[in-house]
Amino acid sequence: MEFNLSKEQSLIQQMAREFAEKSIAPVAKQIDEESKIPEEILAGMAELELFGIPFSEEYGGADGGYDGYVLVMEQIAKVSGGIAMTMAAHTLGLGAISAFGTEEQKKKYMVPGCKGKHIVSFAFTEPGTGSDPKQLSSTAKRDGDYYILNGTKRFISNANFPGAMVVFAKETETGEVTAFILDKLSPGYSISEPWEKIGMHGGQLLDVYMKDVKVPVENLLGKIGQGFPVLLLGIALGKIGTSTAALGGTLAAFEEAVKYAREKTHRGQPIAKFQAIQLKIADLAIKYETARWLCYRLGCLANNIKDPAAFAAEAALVKAYCGDNVVDAARIAVDVHGSYGLMRDYTIERVYRDAIIGPEIEGVADMQKMIVAGSILKK
Amino acid sequence: MNIVVAMKQIPDLQQIRIRNRKPVFDDVPMTLGAIDKNALEVGVSIKESQGGKVTVLSAGNEDLEDTIKEALAAGADEALLVIDDALAVAGSDVIAMVLAAAVKKMEAAELIIFGEGSGDNYSGQVGSRVAAILDWPQVGYASSLELNGNMLRAARSLEDGEEIVEVTLPAVVTVISGINEPRIPSVTQILKAGKKPKEVLEPEDLGLQIPAEAQVLSLSNLAPESERKQVVLKSVDELVQALKNENVIGR
Repeated sequence: MEFNLSKEQSLIQQMAREFAEKSIAPVAKQIDEESKIPEEILAGMAELELFGIPFSEEYGGADGGYDGYVLVMEQIAKVSGGIAMTMAAHTLGLGAISAFGTEEQKKKYMVPGCKGKHIVSFAFTEPGTGSDPKQLSSTAKRDGDYYILNGTKRFISNANFPGAMVVFAKETETGEVTAFILDKLSPGYSISEPWEKIGMHGGQLLDVYMKDVKVPVENLLGKIGQGFPVLLLGIALGKIGTSTAALGGTLAAFEEAVKYAREKTHRGQPIAKFQAIQLKIADLAIKYETARWLCYRLGCLANNIKDPAAFAAEAALVKAYCGDNVVDAARIAVDVHGSYGLMRDYTIERVYRDAIIGPEIEGVADMQKMIVAGSILKK
Repeated sequence: MNIVVAMKQIPDLQQIRIRNRKPVFDDVPMTLGAIDKNALEVGVSIKESQGGKVTVLSAGNEDLEDTIKEALAAGADEALLVIDDALAVAGSDVIAMVLAAAVKKMEAAELIIFGEGSGDNYSGQVGSRVAAILDWPQVGYASSLELNGNMLRAARSLEDGEEIVEVTLPAVVTVISGINEPRIPSVTQILKAGKKPKEVLEPEDLGLQIPAEAQVLSLSNLAPESERKQVVLKSVDELVQALKNENVIGR
């Protein structure tokens, strides 16, 4: 058993920390207030190859593995949940194309995605569906060399950026759920205003309207009726991102609490001297360390997935834990701050709002637990 | 142009804990000195504008083989390492002797760049000593460099101003931290660092014997204790007057 980072992994972590602290942290408040990621931040991320970390160099990636990806995500998420959310959804979409795409699809859609010229989306959810593919109402009707897509997708990350969108619809001839790669912003594709959500501002969720959007036949992702396996693996890979975004939030909560406990004085001494605060700091350390090793391990597992269902159960377990864990951690850290923790002048206020997103996105916590229980009890 | 950047492996200062008023070095990872990274950035920038290659040169214990990946990720083309356990505790004179011998072995180095001081001991001696051994001119405290052919123009940041000097290559330059902002390496630059050419020598390969015992022992590295005067002041005017009385301002 080996629990140390290699020199390369340490350097990747250090690189992400340095970029996050020097470039993102100074504008983190602005991103939160304006709900928009500055272009130069996205350009900086592209330059450091953060948009294609786990993917092969052949397709524009950095060949850094999902273990490299979690190390970076943690540091980015620590300073901006919104950027982490954008990166997570993008990497999830690319992950699905990487696993199921043809050679041509990978060259066409992964290269600009990995290079950060495009930001990728993954569109399953609809106004009438949560996690159940059977309820899907979007349709794909074959018409010569094209599929004609119609329907509405809800809460889709990055839908306002150009690039590929992995989209799920029922193929009308078979009635089977099928995945396609759609060029966003093509004719018939339109989007809503971004949803105004509680936290992770900058990571935008939009509704997508498809009105007779023409998708070439060669953009079928996998086979007709293979939508469920694409969804299963895609969502499982997505949970690496959302879990690690939660990990970054937990680290932020931990560090903010420690900093405040050392700086804030009561009756002439730092509040860190009081046992009540010390217990909270210990709880935060426990929460951070447990989430950290779960996420790092999940990243390592994702590098070599042999059984997608088994991996999906692992990812669900990590997501269930990290999602709830970050909310608990943020709450404890707010408690350390007392009333000041409620004020916008303090970073922990944003960390708390970002944290509450954790258990709800990429499948709610209870759904994750059902996947975990199913994987145990069905054996 | 063949540019050599000399860098020193030091413990990662941010990860050193203090116990009983002494630093604890157990399990502290090694890294390269902060100003050394400025020196590397200078070398890489010159290479990018003028062509040539950057060789990172370092002497230390076997951890160096891993640590040097930081420099190779940040733009150095190759590494020349002199490795011996004794070099980890050797004094500035021994290190300078080793580095100078290594430079002589290299093909026609024209410019050697150092950080002004190492991140741990900051003796600031090695650059000057290497210049003396090689009998090359040396420019210290460089805050900017401009290269025209084999003429190097440097601004030197001195206490009371800036001095502009010109020197003919080959030369040794030691730079200050303000000279630039070192770039952050990308993911693939980090991952490919270990695959760049690296030559590892032992002191014997350079015809040198390194004394096994440390020549310089650190007896204490605590900041000197200063007693606070604990003067209570009630206004800014009082503060100004107190500072004047202490000769801190208004001299």
